[in-house]
Amino acid sequence: MIKRTFATSGLVGSLLIALLLLYSCNRHNGGKAGKGAAMDSTLVIAMLGDADYLNPVLGSTVTSGNIIGLIYPSLLQSEFDTETGLLNYMALEKKLREITPGQAKKTAKGAIARSWSMSADHKSITYILRSDAFWNDGKPVVSGDFKFTYKLYGNPVIASARQQYLAELVGADKGNVDFDKAIETPDDRTLVFRFYKPVPEHLALFHTSLTPLPAHQWKNVKPDEFRHSPLNIEPLGAGPYHLKSWKQQQEIVLASSRNSNLPKPGTIPLITFRVVPDYTVRLTQLQTGAVDVVENIKPEDFTALLKANREIDVKTVGLRVYDYVGWSNIDQNELHRSGKLKPHPLFGSAWVRLALTQAIDREAIIDGYLKQYGVLCNTDVSPSLKWAYNDRIVPHAFDPSKATALLKAEGWLPGPDGILQKQGRKFSFVLYTNSGNARRNYASVIIQQNLRSIGIDCKLDVQESNVFFENLQQRKLDAWMAGWSIGLEIDPLDVWGSDLKKSRFNFTGYQNPRLDQLCELAKQKMEPTGARPYWLEYQEILHRDQPITFLYWMKETQGFSRRIEGEELNISGTFYNIDDWRLRPSANVAF
Amino acid sequence: MLIYIFRRLLIAIPLIFGVLTLTFFVIRLAPGDPAAFFIQPGISPNVAEQIRAQYGLNDPLPVQYVKWLASVLQGDFGRSFSRAQQPVVDVIAGALPITMTIALLTLVANFTFGIFVGIVSAVRQNTFLDRFLTVTALFFYSMPEFWFALMMIILFALKFPLFPASGLNEIGAEGFGPAGFFFDRLWHLVLPVTVLSINGAAGIARYVRGSMLEVIRQDYIRTARAKGLPEKVVIFRHALRNALLPVITLMGSSLPFIFSGALFIEVIFAFPGMGRVTVEAIFARDYPLIIANTFISGSLIVLGNLFADLLYAVADPRIKL
Repeated sequence: MIKRTFATSGLVGSLLIALLLLYSCNRHNGGKAGKGAAMDSTLVIAMLGDADYLNPVLGSTVTSGNIIGLIYPSLLQSEFDTETGLLNYMALEKKLREITPGQAKKTAKGAIARSWSMSADHKSITYILRSDAFWNDGKPVVSGDFKFTYKLYGNPVIASARQQYLAELVGADKGNVDFDKAIETPDDRTLVFRFYKPVPEHLALFHTSLTPLPAHQWKNVKPDEFRHSPLNIEPLGAGPYHLKSWKQQQEIVLASSRNSNLPKPGTIPLITFRVVPDYTVRLTQLQTGAVDVVENIKPEDFTALLKANREIDVKTVGLRVYDYVGWSNIDQNELHRSGKLKPHPLFGSAWVRLALTQAIDREAIIDGYLKQYGVLCNTDVSPSLKWAYNDRIVPHAFDPSKATALLKAEGWLPGPDGILQKQGRKFSFVLYTNSGNARRNYASVIIQQNLRSIGIDCKLDVQESNVFFENLQQRKLDAWMAGWSIGLEIDPLDVWGSDLKKSRFNFTGYQNPRLDQLCELAKQKMEPTGARPYWLEYQEILHRDQPITFLYWMKETQGFSRRIEGEELNISGTFYNIDDWRLRPSANVAF
Repeated sequence: MLIYIFRRLLIAIPLIFGVLTLTFFVIRLAPGDPAAFFIQPGISPNVAEQIRAQYGLNDPLPVQYVKWLASVLQGDFGRSFSRAQQPVVDVIAGALPITMTIALLTLVANFTFGIFVGIVSAVRQNTFLDRFLTVTALFFYSMPEFWFALMMIILFALKFPLFPASGLNEIGAEGFGPAGFFFDRLWHLVLPVTVLSINGAAGIARYVRGSMLEVIRQDYIRTARAKGLPEKVVIFRHALRNALLPVITLMGSSLPFIFSGALFIEVIFAFPGMGRVTVEAIFARDYPLIIANTFISGSLIVLGNLFADLLYAVADPRIKL
């Protein structure tokens, strides 16, 4: 009887398994023309998380930014010149600067602006718009769309993360932008921005080229309903792609806009952004060909990945991201207790911080983890920003004996247990970092060993990211390991400014009036390259004072299927010329 | 029995409200800020403040509680902080069907295989088959789900590419027609459901085997055999019904799982189900979504227990409610 039950269930089970295996084999061999054809016309990009909003006023994640860039039109086109490290802005008939030969990868045809002119006093910029730009519903893109959207960007009820871009407009100095005076639209083709102070041309272009929304579609939406308006899930754009479908937390499908002339319909018919939260699965899918692009591949996986599938290519771009060890320069307990600023008992001296940098074998971390994808970091000015980078700075070499001598000169001598002591206080602290970052875990263990070898007791503690960040903001941590991703315009006052209330990200409490002055002087220059001497001095000061130990710059590493052709990586983004990418059709699909 | 159910449900109301109130305060006292994402260089410091004002987080805690209580009593759990201010009910309504599909398939497979293997093991006690099944069940039972899932993906999606590694459907599945779409979905569910059910079935098999062994040694089983009943009737009608009592407890406690999802499996196989909703809400400090999820889990635990108690009465006439 049991045998019979076995037999029946076995039969049913085997049938089901056979059916599914048959189905999967059929799939695998490309037996279903539909599937092969779908993949041949679809580029699949794996993403860690879903987009938050497909609305340029609200979208704040990288994924949202990538998709918004493909759906909506832009006033100007921008391009990062890797020869100089400067951002260039282009209108149809005008460029901010001449392009270095061989550098131009991007056409200006996507720009709404035909040209612009900056007033002599640098207090206004006037754009002349093209007349042949249309939203997907056929209505023209007009200057009023830009003014309308800038009002949304500046509306506190909407709370756009980009309201900082409006900081120089007329009225912003008094707390509220006066939109009637700040943005004028004498006619549909003319757009004028007015500033309360002289603004360098490149900054004016950067801050006035925020993405517009179609005013005719959004005009009746109240500000307090803006964030949850149904229009957010059916965006009306004008770019090379439009939204075909959005299954939240699963996938976003974009289809090429056949009528777009900004700059042209996307070459690949469909682009699917798929949410694949797990890193191992993203890698597997890249190997099996289920996805075509995976961002941020870990260096330790490169060899196996390339060996497993020859149809995969790993490309790198950078350098925009660095890791560092932060040392609290000020005594935070004293600051919380009395509000007074006193040097930190361990890290208050620049000589001690220099000794810590010299004691850490940064090259070993790079060799052990990042390999050729890491570059020693001296300051927060990236080597990619060649116009400002100080290449005369010699990195502090790993030298434990020099570090010991420096610490000895500062009064730190070995105690009976081998740990350095000064006036009865041991050199012992906790190095905090956020959870879920294998690279930082690896680095922190090496740092711990390095410091232990010169008599410093460094304990490690990993905190959940939210908790870690809150503790950092509230100045509760003495030493921590974190990282920054830098902007392409240098603006470091938020991180190093001496006014600790204003400079919200100066977690170390480092203060240097000359650094403040240099940042201000650089801002006043109407041409960025004119500020080069200031930035060179800025880097020398940071290198000398070591407010933090800069560890390494990391190249961003992206995995691509080789069936993609024409992709160009640029520091401004992986998908910077995605509308020009092409897909090589697979052999078994006939079009 | 109806009075019993009514009384149990009545007691559940203050219990669930107590849990929700506790959750309300605990999540607000925990470190972390729902507007933390907007605190970064290049973003005006006003933004985080404006976001907090929108979420009503600038009010004193008691005021927030009263406002929250008023809306919850009207059935409004508010809007999610982290998911584009969608109403939390919509977020859950989107995730629930996916979770339920996987969970129901898993539960059916769990109990079918678990009970079947348990019976075989017990009936063939101390044979090679029993030992083999016991060792295999223990092996799978002690294996972490996420690791097992990754191994299955590496084996069946990478080395022998028979099944997809993740997602609910293939690219362009909409064009396959209804039957094609259905099979495509089924094809995508094979690996996750297998992982979940092998793991769960192994546990259930252990319970059933133990319980069955106890029952088949009883006098009434010997009597049944002695009076000449076929073995099939003895095992399935006389023994199994009594051996299933502990399994009913497991069924009751499985109810929350149907709705709360299996986090690791959802992350690894990229299914946008309840497990992911809950954990992402916790990491993003999405208070309304956390509370709504707590409400669902809390209610289901209460209902699951009630359901198990009722099933006891159905399975065993000696238990009176």
